[in-house]
Amino acid sequence: MTKWYRENAPITAEKLADELMRLKRGSVNRRHFLGVTGLGLATAVLARAPGLFNSTAFAEDLGTQMSLATWPNYHDPATFEAFKAATGVAVEVNVFGSNEEMLAKLQAGGTGWDLFVPTNYTISTYAKLGLIDELDLSKLPNYDASTENARFTNEGVIDGKTYAVPKNWGTTGIAVNSAKIKKPVTSWKEFFEVAMAEADGRAMVHDYQLTTIGNALVSLGYSFNSVKPDELAKAEELLIKVKPHLYAINSDYQPSMRATDAWMTMCWTNDGAQLNRDMPEIQFVLGKDGGEIWSDFYAIPKSAANKAAGYALLNYLMTPENAVKEHIANGAPTTDSRVLKLLPADVTSNKIVYPDEAALTPLEFGAAVTLTDPGRAELMARFKSA
Amino acid sequence: MTSDSNDIEFRSVAKRYGSVTAVSDISLGVPKGAFVALLGPSGCGKTTCLRMIGGFEQPSEGMVYIGGQPMNGVPAYRRPVNMVFQQYALFPHLDVEQNVAYGLKQMRPRIAAAEISRRAREALEMVRLAGFGKRRVHEMSGGQQQRVALARAIVNRPKVLLLDEPLAALDKKLRTAMQIELQSLQRELGITFMLVTHDQEEALSMSDVVCVMNAGRVVQIGPPQEIYDRPANLFVADFVGKTNRIAATIEPGANAVRLANGVGLAKPARANGTAGAAMVALRPESISLVRDDTATLHGTVTHRIFLGSSVEYSVEVDGLGDFLVTADRRSLDESDLAEPGERIGLRFDPNAMHVFPA
Amino acid sequence: MRAQFNTRFNGLTMRAAKNTKRNLVMAALVAPAAAWLCVFLVLPFIAMLVFAFGERAPEGGYQAAFTFAQFANLPTRAAAFWNTLMLAPAGALLCLLVAYPVAYYLAVRANPRYRLILVSLVVVPFWTSLLVRTYAWMYILGSRGIPNLLAMIGIEDVRMLNTPGAVLLGIVYGYLPLMIMPIYVSLEKLDRRLLEASADLGAKPVSSFLGVTLPLSLPGVMTGVALVTILLLGEYLIPQLLGGGKVFFIGNALVDLFLQSRNWPFGSAIAVTLVAVVAVVLMVAMRIAWKVAGTRQVDLV
Repeated sequence: MTKWYRENAPITAEKLADELMRLKRGSVNRRHFLGVTGLGLATAVLARAPGLFNSTAFAEDLGTQMSLATWPNYHDPATFEAFKAATGVAVEVNVFGSNEEMLAKLQAGGTGWDLFVPTNYTISTYAKLGLIDELDLSKLPNYDASTENARFTNEGVIDGKTYAVPKNWGTTGIAVNSAKIKKPVTSWKEFFEVAMAEADGRAMVHDYQLTTIGNALVSLGYSFNSVKPDELAKAEELLIKVKPHLYAINSDYQPSMRATDAWMTMCWTNDGAQLNRDMPEIQFVLGKDGGEIWSDFYAIPKSAANKAAGYALLNYLMTPENAVKEHIANGAPTTDSRVLKLLPADVTSNKIVYPDEAALTPLEFGAAVTLTDPGRAELMARFKSA
Repeated sequence: MTSDSNDIEFRSVAKRYGSVTAVSDISLGVPKGAFVALLGPSGCGKTTCLRMIGGFEQPSEGMVYIGGQPMNGVPAYRRPVNMVFQQYALFPHLDVEQNVAYGLKQMRPRIAAAEISRRAREALEMVRLAGFGKRRVHEMSGGQQQRVALARAIVNRPKVLLLDEPLAALDKKLRTAMQIELQSLQRELGITFMLVTHDQEEALSMSDVVCVMNAGRVVQIGPPQEIYDRPANLFVADFVGKTNRIAATIEPGANAVRLANGVGLAKPARANGTAGAAMVALRPESISLVRDDTATLHGTVTHRIFLGSSVEYSVEVDGLGDFLVTADRRSLDESDLAEPGERIGLRFDPNAMHVFPA
Repeated sequence: MRAQFNTRFNGLTMRAAKNTKRNLVMAALVAPAAAWLCVFLVLPFIAMLVFAFGERAPEGGYQAAFTFAQFANLPTRAAAFWNTLMLAPAGALLCLLVAYPVAYYLAVRANPRYRLILVSLVVVPFWTSLLVRTYAWMYILGSRGIPNLLAMIGIEDVRMLNTPGAVLLGIVYGYLPLMIMPIYVSLEKLDRRLLEASADLGAKPVSSFLGVTLPLSLPGVMTGVALVTILLLGEYLIPQLLGGGKVFFIGNALVDLFLQSRNWPFGSAIAVTLVAVVAVVLMVAMRIAWKVAGTRQVDLV
């Protein structure tokens, strides 16, 4: 599926189909329009075609359809096919570019999601707003809290109640196409400098306040999570200065990086691993001046229509054998020691996926306050509209 | 060689659209200052001829001259003629004065705006529309629009004014008034008018020269009276005015015509048909109804239409079928109109017959 | 006397009954449209008005209040307003420049036998989603597209995607049929004899075009320009996809406010302002159209 990006050959029918599949999984913006254009509907109808069999392993009626909200390039499509084969439930995948978007959707209501993937710093807000339920762990027999790395999982538990279980962890680093950019980039300071020089017109930042503002703050020597007005003002100044030199503001940067339209981008671990695997000239580096370390969780919205299927898929994904396949496909490091044991050595030794502890030291977890801070939200909006 | 006295001249002009021939082999000269009517049924090629003069069509063969100049290949906008279009084709987005001034604005060298306005108003006065300059075209009545179209066409002082069925859209009363106006306008301007019409009355009443066309050819050219009184063939006799057609035979050698019912009559002096089958055309007004023994033919009245100054009768003539007779009121006693069902005699001067080879 | 009065009275009641019936029929005909307008246009707009004077809740969304703060904050989106109010008309005009000759060719020059096919060719792409077509442009303008071809002839590293030019191209491409069709319709119903009359009066083809064809197709032109401009004022897909999120329209600002920063009141204030601006622009445009075309047949919206 990702192989053909290496080639510059004209597109074949098969590849076009692949491209359309990408489009479906695609980006923030694609998602906005799937419904409107009817494409989403078409895929939903296709997905609804009855499964070969309905498993009787589940006591509850799971229905035939469920909806998952997640991030770009974050799952192995084979996982959902296998899940459908096992349960008869087709999974409709919606992808997002920021936690703010997911929150906005849930706040507006009527998402239809049965399972979604929020990031560590947002869970307390979801719980506070009553948008997610405490998980019924009895429905997740394959989840084992004791095998999870507490460093990444503690934010899923609030006042002793488990609201979310970890998907995987990762970092936000810099992906650089070394064939295009000769100057080494090792920090966020250099990222922004190179973006205005050697990578003029070829650098991407996320359409995501946390990382775009956070990394700008880091490059200026401030905390990734700062909400101090004066520090934010400095960050805004930098971002607006950089903006004319950027290629795009978009959290779905893989297509542009693979096409070499973009040469450098803010990048999440799993994307970095995927890009580097297919195009070795694209390197993934962590800012030595700081940046983000994160863990993503699974949670079930209070408004979910098909909670039974949500739990079923979650339990399926918590099965180490399934999680290993997902891991190998998407390259995001695991929080679960059971999974870690099953992984092949070439994955565990991959420094992009499992960097040295020293490289992680300067990184910060996102703070809950950034999610709701009006100053950061407005700064991001001003940056984009400038 | 063209004659300078001819404003328009066609020399062996033909026009074909693909395999369809609209006009074939027309040669025609229109003298300066004449009022010519191209008369014929629809599809006879008269409008095509007009459009070839206007420059909207190019002849497939032959030459068209205007004022002695060959016009083949000359675009419409370089021809010294102007046209009054069938449905007037007034510019809906311009007011009356702007419509009239349109042609003046195209003149090169340019004419001063004040002069344009003056001439446009002058033209509007000529068509008795002074003071209507600022009106919108669609606010004008049909007759008024007609006058605007006229003013617009004469304002450029063309050598020839072309009129394409200009009165077709007007009601009868307005049409008669406009006929008179067009005639006096032509006299006033002293330029050649060329009118296309399928209405023989219109052609006869307005023009000095009528050119009757049929099936893409000119059938007869001449002054109106000549066309009416001495039709060149049966078609003209039929198309211009009303006529009774009678099957007949020209007796061999003898100077006589024998009608289909056996009645023999002296052959009119100007008839030059050879012996054999013939067709006789007889105008309804050439026939008198009589009750004495001077009658040539006999029949039964079937219908009577009272027209005031005259009466039209339908008479079933023995052995010849339906005849139309226009009786002057004087031909029978005033109080003594023939009644439907009455047996009646028909009398006419044999010289009034037009005899054509069948 | 009494009978007369009665007949007259009966006549009146009959007429009244007739009127009532006619009114009922009218009401029945208008009701669905009115209900539709009310539910999908008026009510949301009222909601927006209410929101516009409210406050953002701490976690985002709407919180009841009465404040003009949202409107006071409008200048922070001045750039987006400016972009939209410049690029929308510019896009519409560029669209017009491309569309007019096409519409002219289709309506006036094309062989009538093939006209229907040609017109269909203009419309058919419209049946595919704009999203897919815009993705096609992303491919064409991206490194594997035209820049790749340019690289073959030695022009390296040309960037076309995510530029204002790409956005403008996308706009012209995306909205072309909407511009072509009204112009085509107004040109097609143009009476050819008017052009003959113009030529007859001595106008060269260019003068005929400027003096007759163009003014008479103005209603179509204005319809097209208004249609495209209005839709462009709300556009956000094309700038997002072909501008890489850097070329920012009001539409993008709205998406941002509702879907990212969850600032509904501010988003509503911007939307209300945009509606007001559009209304003003539209009225001015119609006035101009009436003046120029001299006709009230500007079939807008």
